Amino acid sequence: MTQGKDGSWAVILVLLLFFMLPIGWLLVTYTAEPYHAVSGEPLRDAAQAAGITVVNATDTMWPVGGAVGGKTYTLSDESGNIYTVQTQAFDSAESRDAAVQLHNSQSIGRGKPVGKLIIIGNYLVYVQPYTSGILKKIAPELRKLQAA
Amino acid sequence: MSEDSATPPKNGMAPQKVLGIFALAMINVAAVLSIRNFPSMAVYGWECIGWYIIGTVLFLIPISLAGAELATMLADKDGGVYAWCKEAFGEKGGFTAIFCEWSNNLVWFPTVLAFIASTLAFAISPDLASNPVYLFVVMMIAFWGTTAVAYFGENVSSKFQNYGVILGSIIPSILIIGLGVYWSLSGAAIVLPPFSLGEIVPTLDLSTLPFFATVILLFAGMEMAGFHALETKNPKTDFPKAMAISAVIIFFCTVMATLAIAFVIPADQLNLAAGVMQAIEYFFTALNIPGAIAPMAVLITIGGVVSLAAWLIGPAKGLGVVANEGNMPPLFNRTNKYGSPVAVLVIQALIGTFISLLYVFLPSVNQAYWMLSAMTVELLCIVYILIFAALIKLRYSKPDAPRPFKIPGGIPGIWLIGGMGAFGVIFAFVVGLMPTGDFTSAEAVSYTLGVLLGTFLLAVPPLIFLKMKKPGWIVSGTKEG
Repeated sequence: MTQGKDGSWAVILVLLLFFMLPIGWLLVTYTAEPYHAVSGEPLRDAAQAAGITVVNATDTMWPVGGAVGGKTYTLSDESGNIYTVQTQAFDSAESRDAAVQLHNSQSIGRGKPVGKLIIIGNYLVYVQPYTSGILKKIAPELRKLQAA
Repeated sequence: MSEDSATPPKNGMAPQKVLGIFALAMINVAAVLSIRNFPSMAVYGWECIGWYIIGTVLFLIPISLAGAELATMLADKDGGVYAWCKEAFGEKGGFTAIFCEWSNNLVWFPTVLAFIASTLAFAISPDLASNPVYLFVVMMIAFWGTTAVAYFGENVSSKFQNYGVILGSIIPSILIIGLGVYWSLSGAAIVLPPFSLGEIVPTLDLSTLPFFATVILLFAGMEMAGFHALETKNPKTDFPKAMAISAVIIFFCTVMATLAIAFVIPADQLNLAAGVMQAIEYFFTALNIPGAIAPMAVLITIGGVVSLAAWLIGPAKGLGVVANEGNMPPLFNRTNKYGSPVAVLVIQALIGTFISLLYVFLPSVNQAYWMLSAMTVELLCIVYILIFAALIKLRYSKPDAPRPFKIPGGIPGIWLIGGMGAFGVIFAFVVGLMPTGDFTSAEAVSYTLGVLLGTFLLAVPPLIFLKMKKPGWIVSGTKEG
């Protein structure tokens, strides 16, 4: 074998390094979200704390394993913008993570999935569009619940 | 025509001319037509037509025409995207383009593999979808199985894709369309409001920008047939026809099947947080044929596997050509007796396996996944920016090169088509850097810089390889059994 002389191993090392750097950095920076029971309605609590009005809330059940129910909220800010958000509670960390995985594998074409899931303990919060101004307002309150 | 001669592999067998118009068209259909897009788009109701038109005008038409012109102009060169961009921008440009296409695949593979495994679980036992061991085992069977198909060369892999795409993408699409028509004719209520032209106009504002960018890349993969230039019987005539046929099949199946789903399932029941099989289950239950759900899951799984095959084989072949030309060490240069770039396929499978392991067993690393998928979008945009730039540049640098298929309209025509395509993908690139609303200001800056840095790291190795290049690389190479 001439790999040492021809630089094959150096090239493989470079290849691995360049793949592992971004992936490793992401795994170190963003740790797994812990599973813990969140009492009450996290989205309603966050919206009210952020001064966002909950116009409507209806029960919803996602057709995925381990889902135990949640709500679809219609939110409104002081400018009259309307934003719809769904929440769903899960009975275990495994079922919650499986739902995250299922969602992440449903991208359109080669792009990203249409919406985004935010993990709050045993809840998943589905936001779409994920650039909404209302989401920006309630995100800090959701983050407090994430840390709780 | 060009300064370089054709570049047949230095080892292994000379390429066999086994691909005709139909086989080429099916490679593109396999890469692009995906049933998992339908429920996500059906939520938009009639508006989905407008979004599809945007994707068609800003991407599908430009990339199909660009692919047809470049593939016929460079019909004697192997490597697809690599050959096209190399002709315009030299080795650095060509190598960067093919490497971006290859490296974005490595991060995307776990996503499509998880889709395959979770869809198959629906045919066996839906609860399996939350079992990481099941997921990983099925993902690896699909991944290494598809790699094995690629190992046996063009003849085997093209047959696999031809049959697979008909069974896994076209038949399910036609079935959904037929059932949608049946639903309409049976007098059942169509859940969409009455049609009017105003209904198809998409809502364009700041909040829909990310979706706009996603729609542009909805038809990504139309360049896949270009990787098979040397195996094509009559590339100068077959490529344009294959591009046209595949574009029509993809557009028709996508629009009609999406509308069929939108006819039957109310938008609030099309839960985007769940998956395509949940929508299919609702669809078939509403049509009173629940027994069709499991067979449909099997067909959609097959569709996922052939899509994986198209993306797994094409860019690997392109990178194999880069190695054959001496731009990578001989280890990467190994071609087997079937003409497959066996070393690239194995390295690709090993890296893909490692990333899949992380994906399955660290699933709640949600933000990390989000950033990784953003990087794959950026890498893909770089590929298409280079293709459209190559299309325009070659009209200036090689104006007299024979072009059996030429985009009409002369220089204005090429700027219009190349410009529209470039605009679409540059727009998608910029929007891909936008952080989501749940990030803090500091996280938003970190996100944007992180995506840029990660994209740079995944795109830059070709420039390092070219710096490390040794004269011995071009003459080495080992034929394997």
